[in-house]
Amino acid sequence: MHVDRAPDFRQRLADWLSHLEHLLPAQAPIRDFVHHNTLHGLQHLPFAEALRAAQAATGARTYWDEANFRAAHAAGRISRDDLLAALAEAGPPDGDIAGADGLRRREVWLASLLSAPAAYGDPDFAALPRLTAAGDWRQQANARWQALCEAPGYCASWRRLLQHLSGEDVLAGVHTALKRHLAAHLDLGLAVWRNPARAGGFYAAWKASAGLDLAWELDELPGIHADIRQLPDDPLLALEQSLRALLPDENRWLAWLTALALELPGWAGMMRWRERHPASGDVPVALVDYLAVRAFLEHGLCREATRRLTGAPLDFAEFLDYYRACPGEFLVRHALAVGGLDEATGAAVAGLCAAAAGREASGWDALAPQVLASLQAAEAQHDAQYLAGLLDTLAQLGRPLSPDVRLAGELRQTAAALDAGRRGEIWLLAYEAHYREQILSALASNLKRHAGRPATRLPPSAQVVFCMDDREEGTRRHLEEIAPTVETFGAAGFFGIAMRWRGIDDATATALCPVVVTPQHQIDERPCDAARWQVHAGRRERRLRWRERLYQQTRHAPLAGPLLTALAGAPALAALTAGSLAPAWLARASARWRRLYEGEVPAEPQVCATAPAVDGIQHGFSDIEQVDRVEAFLRTIGLTDGFAPLVLMLGHGSHSRNNPHASAYECGACSGRHGGPNARVFAWLANRPAVRAGLRARGIAIPDGTRFIAAGHDTCDDTVDWYDLPDLPAPWQAAVDQLVGQLGEACRAHAVERCRRLASAPLRPGPWQARRHVAGRAADPAQARPELGHATNAAAFIGRRALSRGLFLDRRVFLISYDPLPDDDGRIVESILLAAGPVGAGIALEYYFSTVDNERFGCGSKVTHNLTGLFGVMDGADSDLRTGLPWQMVEIHEPMRLLVVVEQAPALLSAIVARQPALQELVGNAWIQLAAVDPVSGEIFRHCPRRGWLPWLGAQALPRVARSADWFAGERGALAPALLLGGER
Amino acid sequence: MNEVLRHAVDWIWLVPLWPLLAALVIGLRMLLGRTHGDAAEPATSRLVSAAALAALLGLLLVDLAVLRYGWPGHRAVWDWFGSDAWQGRLSFLLDALSLPVATTFALIGWLVARFSASYLHREPGFHRFFLVLALFLGGIQWVVLGGNALIVFVGWELCGVASFLLIAHAWQRPTASGNALFAFIANRAGDAGLLFSLGLCALWVGSFEWPQLFASHLPLVDLRVLLLGFVVAGLVKSAQLPFSPWIGRALEGPTPSSAIFYGAVLIHAGVYLMLRLQPLLGQLPDVAAGLVLIGALTAGYAWLCGLVQSDVKSSLIFATLFQVALMFVAIGLGWTTLATVHLCLHAGWRTWQFLLAPSWLTLTRARPAPPPSWLASRQWLYTAALQRFWLDRLGDILIGQPTRAIAGDLRALEAGFIDPAIGQPGRGAAVDEQRPLVRADGLPGRLLARLSGFLQRIENRLLLHGRGGSGERMLREAGHWLRTLEALLEEPRYLMMAVMATFVVIL
Repeated sequence: MHVDRAPDFRQRLADWLSHLEHLLPAQAPIRDFVHHNTLHGLQHLPFAEALRAAQAATGARTYWDEANFRAAHAAGRISRDDLLAALAEAGPPDGDIAGADGLRRREVWLASLLSAPAAYGDPDFAALPRLTAAGDWRQQANARWQALCEAPGYCASWRRLLQHLSGEDVLAGVHTALKRHLAAHLDLGLAVWRNPARAGGFYAAWKASAGLDLAWELDELPGIHADIRQLPDDPLLALEQSLRALLPDENRWLAWLTALALELPGWAGMMRWRERHPASGDVPVALVDYLAVRAFLEHGLCREATRRLTGAPLDFAEFLDYYRACPGEFLVRHALAVGGLDEATGAAVAGLCAAAAGREASGWDALAPQVLASLQAAEAQHDAQYLAGLLDTLAQLGRPLSPDVRLAGELRQTAAALDAGRRGEIWLLAYEAHYREQILSALASNLKRHAGRPATRLPPSAQVVFCMDDREEGTRRHLEEIAPTVETFGAAGFFGIAMRWRGIDDATATALCPVVVTPQHQIDERPCDAARWQVHAGRRERRLRWRERLYQQTRHAPLAGPLLTALAGAPALAALTAGSLAPAWLARASARWRRLYEGEVPAEPQVCATAPAVDGIQHGFSDIEQVDRVEAFLRTIGLTDGFAPLVLMLGHGSHSRNNPHASAYECGACSGRHGGPNARVFAWLANRPAVRAGLRARGIAIPDGTRFIAAGHDTCDDTVDWYDLPDLPAPWQAAVDQLVGQLGEACRAHAVERCRRLASAPLRPGPWQARRHVAGRAADPAQARPELGHATNAAAFIGRRALSRGLFLDRRVFLISYDPLPDDDGRIVESILLAAGPVGAGIALEYYFSTVDNERFGCGSKVTHNLTGLFGVMDGADSDLRTGLPWQMVEIHEPMRLLVVVEQAPALLSAIVARQPALQELVGNAWIQLAAVDPVSGEIFRHCPRRGWLPWLGAQALPRVARSADWFAGERGALAPALLLGGER
Repeated sequence: MNEVLRHAVDWIWLVPLWPLLAALVIGLRMLLGRTHGDAAEPATSRLVSAAALAALLGLLLVDLAVLRYGWPGHRAVWDWFGSDAWQGRLSFLLDALSLPVATTFALIGWLVARFSASYLHREPGFHRFFLVLALFLGGIQWVVLGGNALIVFVGWELCGVASFLLIAHAWQRPTASGNALFAFIANRAGDAGLLFSLGLCALWVGSFEWPQLFASHLPLVDLRVLLLGFVVAGLVKSAQLPFSPWIGRALEGPTPSSAIFYGAVLIHAGVYLMLRLQPLLGQLPDVAAGLVLIGALTAGYAWLCGLVQSDVKSSLIFATLFQVALMFVAIGLGWTTLATVHLCLHAGWRTWQFLLAPSWLTLTRARPAPPPSWLASRQWLYTAALQRFWLDRLGDILIGQPTRAIAGDLRALEAGFIDPAIGQPGRGAAVDEQRPLVRADGLPGRLLARLSGFLQRIENRLLLHGRGGSGERMLREAGHWLRTLEALLEEPRYLMMAVMATFVVIL
């Protein structure tokens, strides 16, 4: 019977798993942390709808806590008008409330938003039918039981229902072992000894171990041994068997599987990710293995739990019937879980439930009426308090009321028309609108200022191409203030060079390009001096081998471990002392000692292809490919003429100590790696005479007096690493010296600006002091916030720098250079939107979700993190695998959707969005906000998913200051944009 | 300078006191509500760092003095209390064992305090963490420097409480608080051993001072019994078999606390106690052999469990346990100098390793070599190691559950007997339906009400009519309580307690 059904079940299961995937975190092993939309799987839905679905499935909060929004309102970051506008946009239809002196429903909602939500108690129970004092308690209890069995979060989980009634988690005893098995199976290089049966997959490994496990006896589940032995070898059959035993109704299996998978979303998500990327580990991984184990345990453990609860093992259907037949027992147990009882009743309820543990008890029905009355009284009291708060707020809004019973009921009902999801949406819209007004006003003011100026400009002394990263906004601004003759550009930080890179010290090649791109080319770095490199490589290998020996063998080697420990003990304490007193010095000194020992070897990237591709990977680019890449990139950023003598390609990255999430701080356009090599390769290409000739043939004439150079910017300690300077021809030496000085000064000024958001930094540091502070942070293993990453990112500009140059944007804006004038058909902006849109949206949305619910979407505080299997972190030694961003990265973030402002005609943008499904999803489903600046007229439009382009008319006056430092000095919080008068060209 | 050096030893009592003073000040600041916001953090962390540094500098001064004037030995500073037979004294034993270990621990304490200042920035329990850390730093110095068993016991308890509070640092998480409770209960077994030995010291030796204990020449049988309590305490604190499970569940706290407690300092406290008792152990080869056996078994256990761990902290904790077990073996064999040196160096290296545990991704590059082939394919052994030989589950069943059951019974006793007996305000009920104005709750209230009723009844009886039924009712109630008591005594745990109590009395 199973045999003919199996293929059918297999097919359905595959569909279910791909559905399930939408709800599981899709985070790669932590070494390759790349930002992506946490709810990427739901991106096909409109934003608000997706958030509602995610809330229902996972129970996570999808909007910022209202207390935060109310604090923002109190601080003037959300105005009453913003809220009213948001209510008009997304609220239910407005109307008068009868008998209330012309009071509008919208005013009630406003008051309710400003006071507190109307829902009572745990949001899980908000949808349960309310209790009345008058009705029969049996009926009410039955209605509640019915509703609870259908409530999201409960309807598909026997375990949750049991936990609700008995207060006991059936998995508590076996969770730890299950997680150990999961971690051991997924392990990427921590465990020494692995499950001997791992080659058959997780299910086989678990089955081999669980059959020998004595824990079942200790947990008083001796019968389960036989069940485990009888399990089929095929996980699919096992899963089907368990599901059938759990629940005969096949239509509900998907919901049950979803609930099972979402119990430990981190682990289940990692199973799925590894299943999708089999090459990343050395054992077969499949999510269905885990689900088969979980479903089997669910059945065995829950049956056992019903025995403890009711005296006889029950099936799921019998369990439901049991509590339908015993409304008294249900009501008492339910009341214990819901809480809010008065003290005497609470004590009686707790006493009865405790007395009933494991033995027959009576008295449920006698206690039930009292419990009902107590619950009902608590609800009534909450209602009264809520109404008082609402009336109070209404009075403050200028609508004092003294309502009768009917009106009070109507007010409550009106307020309740905004459910939690809608309330969050309205707050978010108001919050976004407030910031959007500031940003668009800033752009408008800046445009007006530029409009009045003569078109002639001095030739630039240098051009610097930065990454589009929001953190580089500050560096660019300071560089322009310090060196007004420098022009800056921004682009995705892989500079159009999608490649696998292998430096001379790297064991393997790593992809340096956006994570969605699979690079076809590999660039290797070759040492210029083979003999010196031999020495260097040998010494480096020796050093690393000793380090490896030290760390690994003190962990597991019985003989070498104690010896190595004895050797390393004293130096470790000395290093800790030095690192604690002067982290930056120790880091510099150890780097110097390492260089002294290993020696430095000059090396060159091998950019030219010499041999045909092998296995789809070609080493180096052919001449045509080189010209293609340089041309495409220069046209993208709009740099096709007016070249300065120096063009600096400035890649970026971020290094920090003691930070499992290190790659989340690095360049997102390079898959969480340092973008320096891309900048370097680009400069090598652009300096080649053959490439220059090719470019000239295609209409980009780079004068011979122009030299491309490359450097890497470390956004954590604000240092710049210059590449290939010793090979620089003499004519450019002076110009480079000048640029090095200017960029160094800009970085120090930028460090000063960053210090204002760092609590342990001095509030008004000098430039060198600030530099020292951030250098100390980067080198300090005790620092949980080496830098603040993309926190506070909020907007992206795609357009000429003239649009934003001279604006203080508080390091909150991705800046992408694009010249709209030559791009008649929108091809360039289309490719920019396709590349930068998902990257920017991914970063912004990951920060959004990790901020609004750091416990479920984020990974909590770093201080208890424990690196697991080299692929993720747990809290302590026994928890779900934590995905998303740590709290230390998002604590100052302001969660809102990315506002993308494009300098291009709205009609053209509409056409692009319409023909690109990826953009259609992001823009049409409102995962980002879109605005356009007409490149000719300078008019600004805002895109509304429902109503299309709306002209933007607001214009606030912007504060004017001489320099950035005048605006931010002494300020710790987020700052509004300002116009900078200095530093203009 | 010479003067300072000569008198440095006289100020040794300040070493454990500085951190405790810091803890006191932080506690006061918390009570006064001075610990809100970013601005309050530096004061707290600097206070603890300064106290830890003061302790370290004090010890370094003493170390310098040692170079010049030799080991100070036993120093009594102050008489705490005393009776004719024995005395509670503030005394220190400064010798080649205590001073190096104390200095190492003080250095680690100072480093961890500095590390935590930025690591725990804006963490919800920031001030609590530093308060507990300071308590611990003071406690461990009492243990190491203490010149008598009583002082050591005080320090021992401080460390135990601090450890419990730090495992439960994230007390909102049920796993964390559950594990903290488990560690707490397991550690009480060690405390019981220590108390037991203390009592015997007072009884048989007449003093808690180490030198007097070492020179007491007790009969070997007595000495063995006395030592046993200390040994149990040491085994528990250093998580040797069969008390090992608690250490694997103690990793819920912030990384720096995992480092100082379980990686570096606290886990060596048991080793230290054994080293301190070496003069007695030398007289009892059978106890020493027991240490070798337990140490060897624990080493095997920790090695096997360590091999299968797939998270950094657990892996490191079993590695630590392995080497600590080797120290027990060394002590049992009489190689105390080796064990002392190993202790100090091991503490240093594990501090480093635990503090840098989050860097494991960048510190190592390849999967470690697989275990020997005779081991690699043993499915049962693998399962046992992954489940840590089921010891924590067993411990829970044997120690945790009975303790919780007793706690439950106590609560029931309180709710069912003590509360009604004492009475609660506002809950008075009419004692007699006919006299609703007389309301009382609890024993005192009822007694008074009864008294007034009795007087009135005498009055009534004298004046009006026959007897009431109160005597009967009282007898019935007494019968009810006796029945309850009987039912309780039938429970096996109370039976066991009664048997144990009998044994204690006989001993």
